[in-house]
Amino acid sequence: MLARRLIVCLDVKDGRVVKGVRFEGLRDMGDPVSLARRYEAEGADEVTFLDISATEESRATLWALVQRTAERLFIPLTVGGGVRTVEDAGRALRAGADKVCLNSAAVANPAVLTACAERFGSQAVVASIDAKREAHGWRVYTHGGRRRTDWDAVAWARECVRRGAGEVLLTSVDRDGLRQGYDVALTRAVSSSVDVPVIASGGAGSGEHVRDALREGGADAALVAGILHEGVTTVSALKATLRDNGIEIRSQG
Amino acid sequence: MRVTVFDYGAGNLHSLTKALALVAGAHVCVQEDARRALDTDVLVLPGVGAFGAAAARLEPGRERMRRALDDGLPCLGICLGMQLLFEQSEEGPGAGLGYFRGRVTRLAARQVPQMGWNTVRDAPSVEAAGLRHVYYANSYACRASEPSEVVGWTTHEGDTFPASVRRGRVLGVQFHPEKSSLAGVNFLRTTLAEWGS
Repeated sequence: MLARRLIVCLDVKDGRVVKGVRFEGLRDMGDPVSLARRYEAEGADEVTFLDISATEESRATLWALVQRTAERLFIPLTVGGGVRTVEDAGRALRAGADKVCLNSAAVANPAVLTACAERFGSQAVVASIDAKREAHGWRVYTHGGRRRTDWDAVAWARECVRRGAGEVLLTSVDRDGLRQGYDVALTRAVSSSVDVPVIASGGAGSGEHVRDALREGGADAALVAGILHEGVTTVSALKATLRDNGIEIRSQG
Repeated sequence: MRVTVFDYGAGNLHSLTKALALVAGAHVCVQEDARRALDTDVLVLPGVGAFGAAAARLEPGRERMRRALDDGLPCLGICLGMQLLFEQSEEGPGAGLGYFRGRVTRLAARQVPQMGWNTVRDAPSVEAAGLRHVYYANSYACRASEPSEVVGWTTHEGDTFPASVRRGRVLGVQFHPEKSSLAGVNFLRTTLAEWGS
């Protein structure tokens, strides 16, 4: 049986790890390569880099960073943020990423998901979806949670999978950085509607929150960032909570 | 010990070559030509890409590679590389090496590809390396005709298939040791050390 996964997310800007609240107010958290390796040693199942810099120059920095990381990291590495086209995806994968994550670029041009899946396989394509709760259901937002789209989150997740995405990274814009728990209802709505793994993201404050996203939310994996970077908890403490709750999770070593 | 990774042009070999380079005494090189790849002490068939494209790249050197394996060249096939050790695949046209008898077919599961950490059962060499969970990213699985050649099993949803096959000094693993953290690197180290001695 597949174990559930704990994925550590590093928001990267100009080659450094940063963390903000609700996509704003960024603070420097350290060097991506050494942080990624530290989390692998602590038992993280995967690492995701989300590049939040906006410029072309910073993307060259990103590919170099991916390569330095891939040469030292022996767990799967996903890269998003700077990936907008098939060419970008190819660059990221050649630099050593195992998967790429597409967000705003996929909403603007859904065909890019199909093109990436045909070229690199669905296992390398993650659809990243930022969703905000509304009166009825959840709405997809792009551009770091600032731009409202016409897509309902569940419908868009299904469309992404139909077009070739092999995983869905689902972030609650409302919960991101608040540490009050994942949006379990959103996670459940999407995970019960698609046949690919769903990664819950946004709002982790404790091991119980992760447990709820996996168990009640039906997520295959949970993304964790700030509470690890700031030392509120550790990967092994989170995994111990999951194991105590009867959730199948990988032990280190 | 020369360790040669046969590159069928599918891209990312960074983690694999770096993991192999951590094995003491290993000189790792990457070779795109199937025939030249045989001038080595250990051949590695990596695990990225699709069967059809890889089989096409293999074709000019396929018979010679098969003979080399029959003559005792140690070989490690990872994921797609394991599948290339079999005869054919549903994924695409072309012939594999046919070193192991059997076909490669699509996983019978709701979630395909299988992505993530799964177990390996009945595999002493894998367990000795400290691996309980290993990382898989596969849509297809090898249906070995000879059960005695299967040296480890795994199950995704209701589909049980070989995690590892072995005959002589040819070893195929459906999982990615180079993505299975320190225990995975350790598994590569033990496997290569055995062949190097």
